[in-house]
Amino acid sequence: MKGKTKGKMKGQEVGQETSRRGWSKEGSAALVLLAVVAAGACAAGCGSQEDDRPATWEYISTAIIQPNCATANCHSNLAQSSGVQLDRINRGYDALISRYFVIPGHPEDSSLMLLLNGRGSRRMPPDFPLAQQDIDLIAQWITNGAAR
Amino acid sequence: MKPFKTRILLALCTVLGGLTALGAGARRAEAYPQFQFSSGTQRCAQCHYSPVGFGLLTSWGRDESADTISAYGGDGGFLNSKVTLPASLALGGDVRYAGIDNDVGGQGAPELATFPMQAELYARYALGETGLSIYAAAGIRGATRDVNGSAWSHVTSFISREHYIMWKKSATGYYARVGRFYAPYGLRLAEHVYFVRRYSGFNLYEETYNASGGYLAENWELHVTAFTSLPNSAPDFLGSVGMLPNGAAVYYERRFSTVGLLGGQARVAVNSEQRLTQGGLVGKVWVDGARMLAMGELDFQRRDLAKGNIGYNQSISYASMNFFPVKGLMAALVWERYQEDLRTISTARTAFDLEINLFPIAHVEVMFFGRYQYSGAGGADGDVGSLGMLQLHYYL
Repeated sequence: MKGKTKGKMKGQEVGQETSRRGWSKEGSAALVLLAVVAAGACAAGCGSQEDDRPATWEYISTAIIQPNCATANCHSNLAQSSGVQLDRINRGYDALISRYFVIPGHPEDSSLMLLLNGRGSRRMPPDFPLAQQDIDLIAQWITNGAAR
Repeated sequence: MKPFKTRILLALCTVLGGLTALGAGARRAEAYPQFQFSSGTQRCAQCHYSPVGFGLLTSWGRDESADTISAYGGDGGFLNSKVTLPASLALGGDVRYAGIDNDVGGQGAPELATFPMQAELYARYALGETGLSIYAAAGIRGATRDVNGSAWSHVTSFISREHYIMWKKSATGYYARVGRFYAPYGLRLAEHVYFVRRYSGFNLYEETYNASGGYLAENWELHVTAFTSLPNSAPDFLGSVGMLPNGAAVYYERRFSTVGLLGGQARVAVNSEQRLTQGGLVGKVWVDGARMLAMGELDFQRRDLAKGNIGYNQSISYASMNFFPVKGLMAALVWERYQEDLRTISTARTAFDLEINLFPIAHVEVMFFGRYQYSGAGGADGDVGSLGMLQLHYYL
């Protein structure tokens, strides 16, 4: 067995303390971690219920479309799933408009909305549904004329 | 004659190996930050050739995978030590096959799929006693979903996510490396669906081309990296698919004996359309009496767009309790939160995960991942989703 002398070797290699673990150190470290998590929880609770985000393609592309749809195996420049590339603002816009995923002024006729709502096809993104507020914001942008 | 239990495990190993060999699809460099402290090892670079962990295991890491990690031990060596490699050469590989049950709401039925997740080989060659080494990983890029209906539709292309030259003279001290790899930043969890990987901009296949250096000490380490993109003329299998290919990252980690660590990280990444500025903290606490590792990460990031004078702030949080009740079993309870715009709480995503990893014998892992997720306040039809995944893993 290769690991017979492992305990000794490990101590020698890393030069770590071999004394008993002190609860005071654990406690201190736990407090630090708790502070990190608490800060995260606070951050997670930030924001209001109001949605005053801009219904512009620059915002929608970078905040919603790219992080959710342009992942490596989906609509990235490498995978281009279904021939659609959404990893840049301009490329994404061109793909959605030229292939009629978006019909400016008509969200009800835009297949993008059907995909995001999972109506008649597999819901997109396939691994995590967009928040309803995101879908509403995209619909608002299309209603406003879907400007670049 | 081998004991019955051993024969059963060997049979299981053979079946899993056979199943996984059917698949192909590079997916990820292996990283189990949960093993830091919980396995009695403090530095990731003790078990991996990479100075920040993941990828090919050192001989020490291979022994650990068998003796410390696996329930029934075994031989963690390359091909169970049936092949003796020159001291300057290290080889390895990972093969995974997975099945999912995925429900994201809408009118469609939950998605059921099995697919090859990873088939990747690694090689490292050390140039004498110079401290220089060459490292390369190569595999097949797979996909969860059927692309064109053919038997090989999940296998989409060849890709090399890591290839670099490194100078690292000793276990501790200065190091430098140049090439393609994940620029050290935060927790590098194996499962790329975790929010701190998924939403921080540098996920699966998004490894950048870097010039990196740092220092590894017994109780702390520092990694500084500058990264850029390859020209468009580079072959696809070498190219990063990252959306923000140019920038810099720094990661510092201070360890407190065998008890835990606190880390800090910052990163700036740009393309012609936007700039992403990130900063965050990482913490780990090993509670020996409970055999539990608490682990957390918190990142804030700001996106500034070149056009329209638009900027907004985001946050990503991760907290987990990882239990190691018996040898060969790791069970984690995870809470995650991603807020895509801190102005509007209704766009936040929250997930609760259960991850169970079984390591019955060296080279073999069976993993279950379950997730319940929701957007905003949850509860509304369509804003709630779930994911179940079973994964079989064999490493050479």
